[in-house]
Amino acid sequence: MSQAIIEVNQLTKRFKSNVAVEKVDFQIERGDIFGLIGQNGAGKSTLLKMIGGLMYPTAGDIHLFDRTVEGNHPYFERMGLLIEDAGLFPSYSAYENLDLIAISYGLKDRKNHIYDLLDLVGLERTNKKKVRNFSMGMKQRLGIAAALLGSPDVLILDEPINGLDPQGISDIRELILKLNQSGMTIILSSHILEELSKVATKYAILHEGKIMEINTKDELLSKCEERIELEVDDAKVVIPVLENRLNVRDYKVIDDQTVYVYDTHVQSQQIVNVLVEEKMAVHSISKHKQSLEQYFLERTGSRGVTYA
Amino acid sequence: MLNILKMDLHRFLTNKVLYLMLLIYTAFQIFGIFMMKQYPVEYDGVPVSSLNASEFIQVGLAQTPSWVLLYVTVFAVYFYMSELNSGFYKNYVSMEGARIHSVLSKVFILGLFTLFIMLTMVISDFIGRNIFFGHASLGDVGYFMKVFFGQFALHWAFSVVVLLLTMLTKNAIVSLGIGVAIALNVPGMVIETFDTLIDGINVSQFMLINTVKTIRDFHDISEVIHVASVAIIYLVLFSFIAVRYKVKEDLR
Repeated sequence: MSQAIIEVNQLTKRFKSNVAVEKVDFQIERGDIFGLIGQNGAGKSTLLKMIGGLMYPTAGDIHLFDRTVEGNHPYFERMGLLIEDAGLFPSYSAYENLDLIAISYGLKDRKNHIYDLLDLVGLERTNKKKVRNFSMGMKQRLGIAAALLGSPDVLILDEPINGLDPQGISDIRELILKLNQSGMTIILSSHILEELSKVATKYAILHEGKIMEINTKDELLSKCEERIELEVDDAKVVIPVLENRLNVRDYKVIDDQTVYVYDTHVQSQQIVNVLVEEKMAVHSISKHKQSLEQYFLERTGSRGVTYA
Repeated sequence: MLNILKMDLHRFLTNKVLYLMLLIYTAFQIFGIFMMKQYPVEYDGVPVSSLNASEFIQVGLAQTPSWVLLYVTVFAVYFYMSELNSGFYKNYVSMEGARIHSVLSKVFILGLFTLFIMLTMVISDFIGRNIFFGHASLGDVGYFMKVFFGQFALHWAFSVVVLLLTMLTKNAIVSLGIGVAIALNVPGMVIETFDTLIDGINVSQFMLINTVKTIRDFHDISEVIHVASVAIIYLVLFSFIAVRYKVKEDLR
């Protein structure tokens, strides 16, 4: 039985002649941290707003928890949203904002629930400080608390680390991992793949409204990791030599002729020298190294553009 | 529905802007009565200072600009736009039925504000007339109630018209501009001009602001029905359009 709790099929959103999201397909499984990566204007927020029930698709459909949903379907209630800016009244305190949301949900025992959430996001000491006097990081954390107030099954966070300092980014990352460990499925968008890679378990690259690629974490790391790719006559014969002469322990035999060496202490020239001494033929040897940023830029055809 | 209404009600009653507006209104209303004492005004040859509460309200609301309409405009735009600009709606609008309930709740809150400002008007008039005219006679209570609730219903309907305009424009300045133009009865005057050009047509009597500003004899049941009909039609029609719009709206 499918574990997909969110599935979108051919999802499209047009604003007059502008296609913001075009024929997007993907599945998100329970417990995933689904990273949506794309440049500014790629269509990430529009896509998330459709999944969160704020916008209606022009075409395609959305399945939540194995049901097709449209209009103001009750399943949208099971999503906690922090899309673009946190929706907070600036003249109210953190507690007052959460209290208003809690009233709209009809929550009982609001006070304890709100204090628990403020504690979870590290805002328990803000007292009567108004939101307009909060730092960007505090607003984002309060936005997450607001999104968590209804005890959602899925948390949608759109660019949650935008404008945060390194400590703020680290705090949000810890919080996301903590929530995920408690069983929550999380959708996270960012234009910084490096940052997403620290938390996400699955990645979709969105470019000009289209999904370019979907990878699991292992697939992505495999595509971006540093390694020496070696092509020889017989991999089985070469492996003992690499192990004994160069102390290579981290490697992968891809096929009969191809070996990937991941040990960073070994240089390509050393491998060539040892294999030549052992009278073994080396057909090719190359070093493979691609940063996550390079990988993303390559997929979106944006080489030369630097992202902060 | 009830939870969203409770939330809006909580926001409404804990908002200092509400009390500030009522306080400013009270001050200006009493000051206005003071000015009437300094520079006596007559209506139909009768000094305004000698009118009872029902007559005084009708004469006051028939003035252009109507301050009550302007306050209602400002509050309607403020209450809707503060939520829209903050993005607060994103926290609850994906709940089942929340779009419909959110609009109906705003309509209710606007009704409450209209009631508050009209009660403030009555109380300010009572205080001001007592102080500066030396009397504050209410007149026939039944007649007063008909005037009060008739005008309340018309003003509430007007607030819903402003709410819809604000929803459509999503811009406080533009909404205020159009709202003030309507409060000044610009559309009513245009329609009146057409009425004078075409024989046998009197559409302007069904215009909301024209109905607010026309001084009527509420002893005449047909006048009461006319006021009630205009108020209910505008209230229901514009609320319905506002709900339909919100249900179909893409929330950005």
